[in-house]
Amino acid sequence: MNFDLSEEQQMLQDSVARFVQDNYELDKRTELVASKQGFSDDNWKTIAELGWLGMPFSEADGGFGGNQVDTMVMMEQMGKGLVCEPFFASIVLGGGALKRAANAEQKAALLPGVIDGSRQLALAYAELQARFDLHDVTTTARAEGDGYVLNGHKSMVLNAATATEIVVSARTSGGQIDESGISLFIVDPKADGVKLENFPTVDGLRASEISFDNVALTANSLLGELDGGFAVLNATANDGILALAAEAVGALEVLYKDTVAYTQEREQFDHPLSDFQVLQHRMVEMFMEYEQCKSLLYRATLESVQGDDATAQRNVHALKHLIGKAGIFIGENAVQLHGGMGMTEELRVGHYFKRLLVIDSQFGNADFHLQKFAA
Amino acid sequence: MDIELSNEDLEFRNEVRAFFEENAYKNGEDFNKWRMDWFAKAREKGGWDVPKWPKEFGGPGWTPTQHYIWEQETATANLPWDLPFGLGMLAPVLMAHGSKEQQDRFLPDIRDRKVNWCQGYSEPGAGSDLAGLKTKAELSADGTHYVVNGTKIWTTMAHIADWIFCLTRTDDSGIKQQGITFLLFPMKQEGIEVKPIITLGGSHSVNTVFLTDVKVPVENRIGEEGQGWTYAKGLLQHERTGLAGISRSLVALEKLKEQAASVPRGNATLMDDPAFRGKIAELEVDLWATEYTELRSLASAAAGAAPGPESSILKLKGTEIQQRIQKLTVEAGGIYSASWGAKPAGPAFAKNGMGGYMSSRAYTIYGGASEVQKDVIAKNVLQIKRSSK
Ligand SMILES: Cc1cc2nc3c(=O)[nH]c(=O)nc-3n(C[C@H](O)[C@H](O)[C@H](O)COP(=O)(O)OP(=O)(O)OC[C@H]3O[C@@H](n4cnc5c(N)ncnc54)[C@H](O)[C@@H]3O)c2cc1C
Repeated sequence: MNFDLSEEQQMLQDSVARFVQDNYELDKRTELVASKQGFSDDNWKTIAELGWLGMPFSEADGGFGGNQVDTMVMMEQMGKGLVCEPFFASIVLGGGALKRAANAEQKAALLPGVIDGSRQLALAYAELQARFDLHDVTTTARAEGDGYVLNGHKSMVLNAATATEIVVSARTSGGQIDESGISLFIVDPKADGVKLENFPTVDGLRASEISFDNVALTANSLLGELDGGFAVLNATANDGILALAAEAVGALEVLYKDTVAYTQEREQFDHPLSDFQVLQHRMVEMFMEYEQCKSLLYRATLESVQGDDATAQRNVHALKHLIGKAGIFIGENAVQLHGGMGMTEELRVGHYFKRLLVIDSQFGNADFHLQKFAA
Repeated sequence: MDIELSNEDLEFRNEVRAFFEENAYKNGEDFNKWRMDWFAKAREKGGWDVPKWPKEFGGPGWTPTQHYIWEQETATANLPWDLPFGLGMLAPVLMAHGSKEQQDRFLPDIRDRKVNWCQGYSEPGAGSDLAGLKTKAELSADGTHYVVNGTKIWTTMAHIADWIFCLTRTDDSGIKQQGITFLLFPMKQEGIEVKPIITLGGSHSVNTVFLTDVKVPVENRIGEEGQGWTYAKGLLQHERTGLAGISRSLVALEKLKEQAASVPRGNATLMDDPAFRGKIAELEVDLWATEYTELRSLASAAAGAAPGPESSILKLKGTEIQQRIQKLTVEAGGIYSASWGAKPAGPAFAKNGMGGYMSSRAYTIYGGASEVQKDVIAKNVLQIKRSSK
């Protein structure tokens, strides 16, 4: 047994950490968040040049053949700076679906661009009535001629505004909540009948509501097996949860450490706040929750790489539950212990807290995954 | 023990309801005119425009039960907006410690909603430890005015306020609770700079206020020089009792249930989800208990007794409950809570959920941060003595 990073992983970690240090001071991030597209093209180029975009793709696909552990290493460091570039949307989600299901022709057409950063992907899976159920799908793709016609609406699609291709789940057969009968399609956001409404989210990232009105798709838009998209979607979502949890762990580290530092600097009643035992204990609890999250992150990530599917799935549920719960506990208390300062946009804590709240709502919140875990 | 309202109380409740109904805002009406008319009519009812003011200052002189009924009814009715600073915070200080001239000068404009006040207490170095404040007020050589220098922070609505009531230091030779002086002065004058602070909800309500050589005539001092802490302490008490918001939480919880029942979850709704339902139920149990804690506190006040120990927990419990309601609203909104402002999809209530939740985090910070409140209860209510060993 061994939880050490390999030499390559250690180098990867250092390199992401350096990128975050150089580019993600709060002021710089605030500027990015306020810009039109919400992230920096220069940063995106740097990330591509450093080779990170190819990490989770196989060597045959032009990548570096990394697995979930490598993604975890990167996402945890990105979480420390709340990186805005669409690594998660394009590589973990869109790329995750592509690497699992794309045929040779699709891979050849798309993956080189995804890996060199000239293309960006997004994954559109959420629908209004579905809450957190990936298999609750009312968007339809009707076979017509050689291809399909897409109709419906997808919600809160991360980084769709800058995506060159969007992977969309749609029903090709079966009832609204059947797992079978769901198919994935590669959709050009500029195609006739695709309408995007773009907006910033609470955490400063970008998302879109997308409607599809009789969008004509070619036969080769189908990604993977007809009616068999759910397994791909679910596996991609699980990778997404692992990556988000790693990002959260990075953010949680910042939150608890910033709080420990702040309470030692701030004086009230002629004492540093950290002299007050009730605050010491609260910070110890924050630290404990952080360490527990990290343990479960390692566990779920390793089980996903090495374990069987059922075990991995249960671990992912456990992880997303704990991350949601602990994230909010640590976030709320980081704000509370900073007093009025914690309520402002001037310090990091508020921004990290907001990101954790959004992470809890993505791919099912703490309650949702606890119920799945218990089932 | 008896929880039935008396016939007089029931009659009073009907009268309040009828008043709210008659004077409700009608679509298309000029909002400002409606607001002013509303207060004028409430005044004609016998001081309903200033429910908490005592009778000798034109208030209605209600019994505690009547106050409770008013709170309950206002939680659902749509009343014109009001700021608490002049009406609820400064007015009691003026009544208790202001001179007759000061009362005549300031109270009518507060009552008529003509002058907006803000509260200049906290400073960068003086938050929970308010008595550590350093904003300096120096008496001029001829004794006619003070010259004020310093920085106030978190001053809510300073950017729209006409006047500020401000704690300043006139003497730093003794213990820090001494030498604090309570001053009133206009905001729109030379030497005052107001800088906005944007909070997590994305909104601007608090400010930093820089005071540079601001001249304040001695007539604008409340009570005696150096006694400001005693006056302010009473005021903080007023601030805290208003913060529990039980009646409003009861209404908010019902609204939350409706919202959750509008969120589809499989073949049912979120209200049928056992985990969510359980959290709502837990919250409701707490709220029921807190409602009765407040009633017990009211009943002892009605009997003329000093507020019992139970009243000390109201701010803590009340604000925690408000935060939990906000948190569950965010959960109910699911993925849509992450979008705010001009929200193109999802349930309508999700639009403001996150902003409300973020703002609610301040409830356990202002008006006495929860940790410090518990210290006060340990000392004053449990009478725990700290050994000096
Ligand atoms: C939205 C908002 C509006 C406000 N409006 C006004 C206003 O209009 N006018 C005004 O004057 N002020 C206002 N305030 C200021 C408010 O009163 C202060 O924020 C509050 O007193 C706490 O002070 P602080 O922010 O400096 O936190 P600090 O005092 O620095 O406290 C930070 C943390 O340390 C804890 N702590 C402090 N001392 C102890 C102790 N002895 N033992 C254990 N824990 C301790 C606190 O509980 C808190 O969790 C407002 C604040 C906010 C957030």
